[in-house]
Amino acid sequence: MIVAMKRLTLVGIREEEPAILKALQKAGAVELISLGDHDDGESARKLGEASERIARLSDSLSAIRPYAKKPGVLAPERQESLEKLQGDVALAEQTHQKIQAILEERKGLLARREKNAAAYAALLPWQELSTPIEKLKDGKHTKVFLGLVDGAGETALLQNESLAAEFYGVPGNRGALLVCHKEDARQTAAFLKTINWTDVTLPELSGTPEEAMLALEREDMALEKRLIELETELSAFGVSAPVLENAADALRVEQEGMSAETQLEKGAVVFHLEGWVREDEVEKVEKAVAAVTDAYYSEYRDPLPEENPPTVLQNDKFNTPFEFLIDLYSLPDPRGIDATPYMTPFYIILFGIMLSDTGYGLVLALGAWLLLKLKKPTGGMKGLATILLWGGVSTMVWGVLVGSFFGLDFDAIFGTKDMFPLLIDPTANPVGMLLFCLLLGVIHLCAGHLIKMKMCLEEKDWQSAVFDNLSWVLILMGLVLAAMPVAAGFFDPPLRLGWFTALHLNTVGLVLALLGMAMVVLFKGRDKKNPISRLASGFGGIYNITSYVSDILSYARLLALGIATGYLAMVFNTLCSMLMGGGSLIGKIVGFLIAVVLLVALHLFSVAINTLGSFVHCARLQYVEFFGKFYEAGGKAFRPLKYRTRHVQISK
Amino acid sequence: MLELIKANLGIILATLGAVTAAIGGILGSTLGVGKAGQAAAGLVSEQPERFGNALILQLLPGTQGIYGLVVAVFIAMRAGLLPGGAVEVSVSQGLQLLFAAFPMCFGGLVSAIHQAKVSVSGINTIGKRPEEFGHCMLMASMVETYAIFSLLISMLLIFGVNVG
Repeated sequence: MIVAMKRLTLVGIREEEPAILKALQKAGAVELISLGDHDDGESARKLGEASERIARLSDSLSAIRPYAKKPGVLAPERQESLEKLQGDVALAEQTHQKIQAILEERKGLLARREKNAAAYAALLPWQELSTPIEKLKDGKHTKVFLGLVDGAGETALLQNESLAAEFYGVPGNRGALLVCHKEDARQTAAFLKTINWTDVTLPELSGTPEEAMLALEREDMALEKRLIELETELSAFGVSAPVLENAADALRVEQEGMSAETQLEKGAVVFHLEGWVREDEVEKVEKAVAAVTDAYYSEYRDPLPEENPPTVLQNDKFNTPFEFLIDLYSLPDPRGIDATPYMTPFYIILFGIMLSDTGYGLVLALGAWLLLKLKKPTGGMKGLATILLWGGVSTMVWGVLVGSFFGLDFDAIFGTKDMFPLLIDPTANPVGMLLFCLLLGVIHLCAGHLIKMKMCLEEKDWQSAVFDNLSWVLILMGLVLAAMPVAAGFFDPPLRLGWFTALHLNTVGLVLALLGMAMVVLFKGRDKKNPISRLASGFGGIYNITSYVSDILSYARLLALGIATGYLAMVFNTLCSMLMGGGSLIGKIVGFLIAVVLLVALHLFSVAINTLGSFVHCARLQYVEFFGKFYEAGGKAFRPLKYRTRHVQISK
Repeated sequence: MLELIKANLGIILATLGAVTAAIGGILGSTLGVGKAGQAAAGLVSEQPERFGNALILQLLPGTQGIYGLVVAVFIAMRAGLLPGGAVEVSVSQGLQLLFAAFPMCFGGLVSAIHQAKVSVSGINTIGKRPEEFGHCMLMASMVETYAIFSLLISMLLIFGVNVG
């Protein structure tokens, strides 16, 4: 069902506006409509500031996240009161300062360490040089060259008798020290260019290179020690993660309120607010505002034809989780129809055929049930888990009907003889199963047309209901009945249709189909005056049967996915049973253990991948084939002003 | 050697059929999941919270490999290549099993690659508009329809071969 929406107009005293907005946010029932751009720059600045504060806290949060206690995968989300969250903001911002101080210092130390490592590497070739670094400078009459040379360069230097060179470090990467008279400096530099010489500037440290390197090593040890200390200090902040989360969420709530403020219209004395409210929550909103003040004016009216209210779905407890599938596709037009209750039974049935293995259904249902019980998810996650729970149950039933339990035959497990499958064995009778799947498809499509018929009748458009929808139901069902005797022959053993033919149901089917076709031919172009173009339009309508053929064949995927699941399970069983056949006793035990572990892992994988496939393809059959017959998408979601948090649920 | 091949030609052709089905599906899925995985990893570098959705879109082109595996094992089973089921396979039956593998081989290979392209685009889209995840998944599954049909045709044809 689509909930009716009311348009709220609220006028109040400007001074009371913050309190009223707070009350509305707490009620969480009004979606504000922006009344033009009344941005004075001030609110934009405040909004920016708020998101900066949130970003800062999130930054600190991710720094201490590795040290925080991790909630279990299945642990439910934390619940706190809003007051508690707001109370944590001051403490969180102090903590944030401390964490940032540690991070800053760590950054400095890491940079320092990197610099030292570079200096150390630069000094390495010069370790044996016994002159302090600060003395390796040009003198009054002398010029000092420091550089690195390769083997050939070293030989060239040694052969040049006019130069006195000393060499340090390992061959191939030699540090060379040259000293020459200042007058010869240019000549020497020119010579150095001809050999493979790289000028070197030693880091500005005191003492001989070796002393400097020792000093660096000492400093590094101190740095390392401090870094470890900082790590410990940071890890001590791990326990503050919840406080930071609380504060970030409190700020998010505040930010939401601020952005709501920009959507109002403010005068000197009063403010004006417009929004959408669910019809059944009008009272709630009214109470929330009345609790703050009695000096206000409010009005609730139905949406005008040109207005586009948000779409809110409401269903009973069983159908509600399946709204998730509608969200995944597209919400219905606010004046359209909520497809959820119609889709739910088909989704459950079709999902089960695609997975069709009692063992897999059991695993899926159990997993989904545990998730719901322990994690207590909300929103889409809850919907998905509940859908999978029902899908799992349906899969268990279909597994019995087609006789598959973790890829094994039920008869083999229970020792019964030919009792299972209860309905049909797709591996022994694939064509029969295919026809059965296509029949389900026809029923699904006809249901779509019947829903459209109902919609048309509600709009008093009986012509569309009969000529565009009932006609196709007659054609499809009629053809199915007419084809029954032929189809029965494809089953193994052939179906017995004694009562069916006795009642001449196939002839009845043929008549119904022809009646439906006649309706399409004669009335498809009923808005056309010219009888020839009207008939042409009618025959064009009959041509539409090709699209029904492709729609129906699309249900062949029910069989294909079912076979894929069954055979995959069988492949895994065969594989693991091969492992169990070891010769010696030890070999048997080892083989058995490996086989069991492998079997569990492989089947879990198979459940996961096949559930994904079933979920997606079942959804597709609803969206494309079923919805194609009646659904009008195009609604937008209801986003009321409320407490929107990321880490903590706010308790009421 | 030639005599040996001649005597066992039926079973050799059946083996070739199993191999063909496996190669097509698995090759396609490897290419597809790999390509989609690159896009998913790229998205996660910016938005780690989208990992779950990106992973699902990455996995969608992975099913062709499984279908290939299923068809291959099914052919192997029909031809008695698995333990416990030695049967006589004639040349004509071997050829039938080989041809039956073709839809899965080519359908799986090509559909996985193209499905991956849709997945990659979908992964890029949910980076910008996470609420479009459902639609992106649906679009990728549209391509998979043809892999499913390939599987179905191959399986029905193999069912139809009267071995043993």
